[in-house]
Amino acid sequence: MRTRLPLYGVLVLLLLAFLAPLLWALSGSFKPRGDIFAYPPRLIPDPFTLDNYQRLFSGQPFWRWFLMSTVVALAATAVSVFVCALAGYGFAKFRFAGRKLLFGVMFSSLSIPFAVILVPLFVMLVKTGLGSPWFALIVPWVAPAFGIFMMQQYIVQSIPDSVLEAARIDGAGEFGIFRTIVLPLLRPALGALAVWQFLQSYNSFLWPLVLVSDSSQYTLPLGLQTLFVSEQRQYDLVLAGAVIAVVPAVALFVLLRKQLLEGLSTGAVKG
Amino acid sequence: MTTAIAGPPRSTGDRADEADTARRPKSSWAPYLFISPFYLLYILFMLVPIVVSLWLSLTEWVGLGTPHWVGLRNYRLLATDISFHRALGNTAVFVLVAVCVVVPLALLIAQALNTRGLRVRDLWRTAYFVPVVVSPILVALIFGLVFDRQFGLANSVLRALFGTGGVDWLGDPSLAKASIALVMLWRWTGYLTVFFLAGLQNVPRELYEAAALDGAGRLRTFSTVTLPALKPVTAFVVVTSFIGAAQIFEEPYLLTGGGPAESTLSVTMFIYRAAFQRQQFGYAAAAAVVLFVLVFGLSRLVNRLLGIGRAS
Repeated sequence: MRTRLPLYGVLVLLLLAFLAPLLWALSGSFKPRGDIFAYPPRLIPDPFTLDNYQRLFSGQPFWRWFLMSTVVALAATAVSVFVCALAGYGFAKFRFAGRKLLFGVMFSSLSIPFAVILVPLFVMLVKTGLGSPWFALIVPWVAPAFGIFMMQQYIVQSIPDSVLEAARIDGAGEFGIFRTIVLPLLRPALGALAVWQFLQSYNSFLWPLVLVSDSSQYTLPLGLQTLFVSEQRQYDLVLAGAVIAVVPAVALFVLLRKQLLEGLSTGAVKG
Repeated sequence: MTTAIAGPPRSTGDRADEADTARRPKSSWAPYLFISPFYLLYILFMLVPIVVSLWLSLTEWVGLGTPHWVGLRNYRLLATDISFHRALGNTAVFVLVAVCVVVPLALLIAQALNTRGLRVRDLWRTAYFVPVVVSPILVALIFGLVFDRQFGLANSVLRALFGTGGVDWLGDPSLAKASIALVMLWRWTGYLTVFFLAGLQNVPRELYEAAALDGAGRLRTFSTVTLPALKPVTAFVVVTSFIGAAQIFEEPYLLTGGGPAESTLSVTMFIYRAAFQRQQFGYAAAAAVVLFVLVFGLSRLVNRLLGIGRAS
């Protein structure tokens, strides 16, 4: 144990470095405006106040931003997880003409920077008036190659062909097999992918920034940004909003962290 | 990536039969139906935009009226645009930091977390991952406060430790770049650690035992056992962080606005600025095409060299 002491020391220091800014923000959200920057910084707020939160809720359409983000993220997650499960299964359990090529095309879309489709997507969805902001906010997250890859890897590793074959002998249809056998077995991976997708959409900033001009349709990051860039830099409100915004994300993560962390690394490890 | 499904038929009797029948489902159109939703969306929201981008890059367009065909003029302008050169250079610095600092640091941390008998490994792993979960705008907001010149946490800590403060983190060109890199480091190290840790836990223990029997020291074991076993993970991590860092936007946009003196302007910010602040849609599209060629080309090259992303 004695030899381990330095190791734990380093790990704790790192832990502090990783979490200190977040804890500082958390404690700041409960401090009166004047105390946030007090020196020396104090972790436990004294006096402790909920005033920042109250003013956030009374003076800002905070719940609307929150709802907008959450609903959009849930919709994007539902669609993309289903699409990924379907395609992941297709690639994992069938051999068909063009499989290699199609897989390569799918996989290579991982290397396409979002900035490349930013301008044309904006032109297509806004300039032509085709998409409502709701639809447009969801669009960039519906077909992630990363998710398909994750599903494909998981299916290959954990769903034996014999199970599918048995179902086929019993006369089950292909989609029936997918629905009644594959999807239930895929549950842990679906959970992991769902968390990841939710976070991607919920945390997205650049696309909503470009897309949404009407303040009644702001997502949470956009709304918080307006508090931050306004003339009087409302740090107190920003911190309170930041704390609330991070709650669903961290809660989801803590709840499903095992699946998520293992799901994320499935593909990378096997190489 | 894997050989389990698409490899050649196995020679052993019953396993081969089993695999063979499973590979021949009754309907040959089924796999295409399964993958078609993805390709439909892919074509609509990926392929079509890329083609549109290519076409827009050959036009001059303010976002209203009809785009005006200008041929390669946007590209010629980019070639002499100092701002674009700065954006490319800054982005290259961020990519280098990601690949040469963040990746090795993540490997080191993973190595530490992989120590045998380490307690509450899951807790460490979870805690280090938390910054990834926090939205980039919150990260930027919080670090905006951390780096505040007068009152920020960074200067407070400096003052407490060394009695000096007042460092202008975001106001000095090279410090601003370093600050952005620091935020990147904070945000992504834990994420990459997860991959390395998973890779390390997959290295067969016998390999380490064999190395120990041969009397190999720590460094030797690391270079002859650990590193080769980690090759696929490393490849994945390097490509992922390359692509991620090449697209950096939120941190410079929110923390520094690309400044001071464009010292933190990234390519994505350049594209955003051209299109949505200056209404130069054609010019922005041309910059996007350049970014696409660079990122796609380089990551494909690395993929090919390291052999990731194959279906079989």
